[in-house]
Amino acid sequence: MNGPAETAAAPVATPAPLEIPVLELRHVNAAYGPFRALFDVSLTVGEGETVALLGRNGAGKTTVARVASGLVEPTEGEVMVDGNDFTKVRAHRYAKAGVVHVPEGRAVFGDFTVEENLTLAFSRTHDRSGVRNALTRAFELFPPIAQRRRQIAGTLSGGEQRMLAMARVLVESPRLLIADELSLGLAPIVTDEVYAVLGRIRDAGTSLLIVEQHMGHALALCDRAVLLDHGAISWQGPTEEAAEAIGAALFDAGAQ
Amino acid sequence: MSLLAAEGITKRFAGITALDDVSIALEEGERVGLIGPNGAGKTTLFNCLLGLLRPEAGSVSFDGHDITRLPVYRRARLGIGRTFQRVELFSGSSVRDHLLFAHRIRSGTGALWKDVLGLGLPKPAEIESCDALLESLGLGGMGDEPIEALSLGQSRLVEVARALMTQPRVVLLDEPSSGLDRAETNALAETLARIQLEQGFGLLLVEHDVELVASFTERTYVLNFGRLITSGDTPEVMQDPEVRAAYLGDFVAGTQ
Amino acid sequence: MTASVLAAGVLEDTIRAFFQGLPIGAGFALVAMSFVLTYKTSGVFNLAFGAQAFISAATYFELHVRRDWPIWAAVLVAVVLVAPVLGLLLERLIFRHVHASSAVAKLVISLGLLVALPELFKLIVDYNREQPFGAVGIIPDGTTIYRLFGRYPVTRDEIAAFVIVVAAAVALAALFRNTRLGLRIRAVVQSPRMTELNGVNADWVSSGSWMLSSFFAGLAGVLLVPTTSSLGTVLEPTGYFPIVISALAAAALGRLVSLPAALFGGLLLGVVTTQMRTHVPRDNVILAELQGPALPYVMLFAIIVFWPAIRRQVAGADPLLGVSPPPPALAATSRSRGMTIYTRIMALAFFTAVGIFTFGYANNFWISRITHSVIFSIIFLSIVVFTGLGGQIALCQVTFAAIGAFGAMQFAQRWDISVMVGMLAGAAIAAAVGAVLSIPVMRLGGIWLAIATLAFALFFHDVLVKYSWVGGSLFHGRGVPRPEFLGVDFSSRENFLILCVAILVLVGVLVILIRESSTGMALRALRGSETAAESIGVISWRSRVIVFSVSAGIAAIGGGLLAMEERLVGYEANFDPQTGLFWLVIVVVLGTRTVEGGIQAGVAFVIFPELVLHRWLGLDGAWRYVLFGFAAISFARHPEGLLEHGKRRSQALMQSMFARRQPAMAPAGAGAGATAGDGPPADAGAHPGDEP
Repeated sequence: MNGPAETAAAPVATPAPLEIPVLELRHVNAAYGPFRALFDVSLTVGEGETVALLGRNGAGKTTVARVASGLVEPTEGEVMVDGNDFTKVRAHRYAKAGVVHVPEGRAVFGDFTVEENLTLAFSRTHDRSGVRNALTRAFELFPPIAQRRRQIAGTLSGGEQRMLAMARVLVESPRLLIADELSLGLAPIVTDEVYAVLGRIRDAGTSLLIVEQHMGHALALCDRAVLLDHGAISWQGPTEEAAEAIGAALFDAGAQ
Repeated sequence: MSLLAAEGITKRFAGITALDDVSIALEEGERVGLIGPNGAGKTTLFNCLLGLLRPEAGSVSFDGHDITRLPVYRRARLGIGRTFQRVELFSGSSVRDHLLFAHRIRSGTGALWKDVLGLGLPKPAEIESCDALLESLGLGGMGDEPIEALSLGQSRLVEVARALMTQPRVVLLDEPSSGLDRAETNALAETLARIQLEQGFGLLLVEHDVELVASFTERTYVLNFGRLITSGDTPEVMQDPEVRAAYLGDFVAGTQ
Repeated sequence: MTASVLAAGVLEDTIRAFFQGLPIGAGFALVAMSFVLTYKTSGVFNLAFGAQAFISAATYFELHVRRDWPIWAAVLVAVVLVAPVLGLLLERLIFRHVHASSAVAKLVISLGLLVALPELFKLIVDYNREQPFGAVGIIPDGTTIYRLFGRYPVTRDEIAAFVIVVAAAVALAALFRNTRLGLRIRAVVQSPRMTELNGVNADWVSSGSWMLSSFFAGLAGVLLVPTTSSLGTVLEPTGYFPIVISALAAAALGRLVSLPAALFGGLLLGVVTTQMRTHVPRDNVILAELQGPALPYVMLFAIIVFWPAIRRQVAGADPLLGVSPPPPALAATSRSRGMTIYTRIMALAFFTAVGIFTFGYANNFWISRITHSVIFSIIFLSIVVFTGLGGQIALCQVTFAAIGAFGAMQFAQRWDISVMVGMLAGAAIAAAVGAVLSIPVMRLGGIWLAIATLAFALFFHDVLVKYSWVGGSLFHGRGVPRPEFLGVDFSSRENFLILCVAILVLVGVLVILIRESSTGMALRALRGSETAAESIGVISWRSRVIVFSVSAGIAAIGGGLLAMEERLVGYEANFDPQTGLFWLVIVVVLGTRTVEGGIQAGVAFVIFPELVLHRWLGLDGAWRYVLFGFAAISFARHPEGLLEHGKRRSQALMQSMFARRQPAMAPAGAGAGATAGDGPPADAGAHPGDEP
């Protein structure tokens, strides 16, 4: 049963031989119980690379993000982080290896204050004074958040919650940031701000895997785009060619 | 008067307005689509129609009766059937049992004294009508299979069959394509179209697979940010630049 | 006497009651916070806290009172060592592995532990070598009385309990606010997955919170020995039931998720308890009862029914909830034809053999045991009906059985009416009580239903039984004659056994008819998926109320027969709520889905301790609690019951052996797992059109 999958996927899986990618999914299948979400997805994110993962709702984008951060264990295939096999590893080990996942929707602890949210993230790698320094840095980077350090995160606006999640990432400069639907439910101007921050994160050297449905911003930010359809990769290539291919795939495929 | 109508539905969650003054209507025997990007409020509207959520403002009516405050099972008994995005089946029961349950509840032959006197056992006529429906959905001969043995596509059809056994006047389909691949989606669409023509029930399709909606419905409503942004004949809606913008972001819409 | 003097007296009483209430409430609060901690961090509604509290208290008792250890050493071992280690073991060995199971399955496991743990402890330390009499608190001279502000009397124990609990609460608050562990526990409470994404191992945090909560339970265990009068000085696990119930009520005030609500709820309920005792007039019987043991049960029941927070759906606060895999699918209810035939042949052979033995060779002792088995089979069919068919847990079947027994007794004693009529009247009363009881709580379902029914069972046990119109009077005794009707005298052992078997057959047929009927179908649909069932018009609470009522009636018939068999209502020996918990556990372990399962449980309940444990293995009969209690863990994986599961496995094994010999006859429906791996290999837009 592996036969056709191997041959069909061969042209896609061509990682550069010398460079070890930060993240690599090899022929990943994933499911929630009987509910199959991914079929033979192979994907790499190289050092410093920015990849936009596009596709309509329900196409499996979020599942790719979850597999890539260890939240969902693939039923078949492998997940490699910096060349190490992470297939059966739990999510907290991914985080320790520098893979940060900002999940879809509310990406912060709603009952925590802003400061507690950041402390939880920083306390893993820093001691008490280190946490204090990291907090100071985060508040320097994001003055609006500093004003609200004692506010309960659940009462922040959607944009502020995203900024809070970003603040942590910008201070830690992890290996890879997986950002799932950051623009969801945000007004366009706020989305602009969030993407400006993503640009800063990219410039600091963090690789990005951006999951988006509103693809305008994602395409402007990223080098490469991957289009998912019904749990399988249906197109990938440089972002310049993406818009046309994707517009056609989304709206006009029925007319073919 | 419309068969199923929602008037001015507004629903808020913790300060966030998920639906803002949304009105939709569906006539007897009509096929209507409801689309919108992730987070647009499709599911919230769906749940308001079914009685899983109470809207803050607005009303839902069915066949001229106000059903805004009726519980789920009362609406079901009036003739509103549904399927589920994440398949909800009765584990441990056979395929035919699913249909029999639905039929029993509809026909109201469930008095306990009848049960105890042994009059509650399924009659040959009932079994025959179940099998006939299974046959017409392409599940012929699978009546005795345990439900766990079915593929996801077949399970979706069992959900449809179960809803149909309650003799509904309208069926609400919740993202029937999710978890299916392209070929399975097409097969499902074909079967649905045929059975709808045969039986003539009204049909509301909540989907993000735009293609499926385009191939299948007469009219379409489009939601974004909890508001109805457009509605009308499906082909026209699909060409509407605002709809494309909602899905793709300004970037792509601008280039088209 | 002037009004102002009177008012001053009332005020003084109020203040005194307030100070007496705080220490009692402090104990409730401690256990309530334990409930909240484990429920929030691991989704386990841990009824076994009663057992954990007892184990710490009994360890302390064993070490300090019986072995003369100094107080500090005994406390150190009992509370600081034993309690957290026990919590850690429970989390590590049991609850971590059932993470994805339903809340009800976890509740069943904790019930099993509630039954098993104290008995295991007693067996290990040989606790019952003498009466566990003379338990004392951990405070030297704890009964010394002080007067607060010169007038309000409190004992040293009470002061200590209050101070320790407040200190514990403050320490807990500090832990949560200022420490890394505290922050992580709070994070896991909100979303274990999000916590993992922050690089924290959520399992370790979960272990930590279990140790913490178990420590609290242990602390409450030793603190509460002197402060609650209902405990007395004989230290038994049942003594902790009222406390657990009050703590549940306190935790329920915060919908099981708020620690501050649990703390203040506990203190509040403690104060309410003593205020009721002080101010409510005693001339009315019902009001008087409310000042006594009835209060915690009534409070819990009232909170479950009326407290609006419980009705509110718990919003999916965890944004990553959808990541968890769905609970394992239940095994099919329907059996294959081959297995049905096999089962019937085996049953026929078994009953023939037992019949020949009984009427040919058995002595009186064994006839009585066999009659007991038959009667308990009837009682356990009531659990098959509600838990097996209805998919819900109720913990008051024992109460309904008692109602049947008392019904038979009252009718025979008071009006000299046939006990059979009395038993049926008892069944009707039980069915009515069941319906009335269940209507308000059935909508809630799940763990709330289980807790509410437990509250009712304890209410009956501690309050109602004492009334002569329920439990009879000591003057008359609790004698029950055997019946005589249709011209047949059933007073001989053999005849009565035949009567019981006939009733068992009738009830068994009734259960099968219900299972195959429309109501049975509705229940099966609800068990499979409640939302889907409602979407086709099933009214969930109505089907459940009906079946609960039927199940109550069946239990009452069994209870009536048991009283006739024993010629008296042996309430303490047979119908204790603790016994009721064991009933549920044994039926759940052996098989709730089938009539066969109920009968097996009945036989096992009566014969197993006698024959296997005692005669063959020479063990203490209490091992049955340990064995079946721990076996309840299997419910998470095999809700169909261990015997049914074993039969299915052996049948599958035989089939596969058979199939290997004759490959052409491989079973057609064997592809149950086929959905997982047959996804078409898809790539780069081109979907091969192969249908799975």
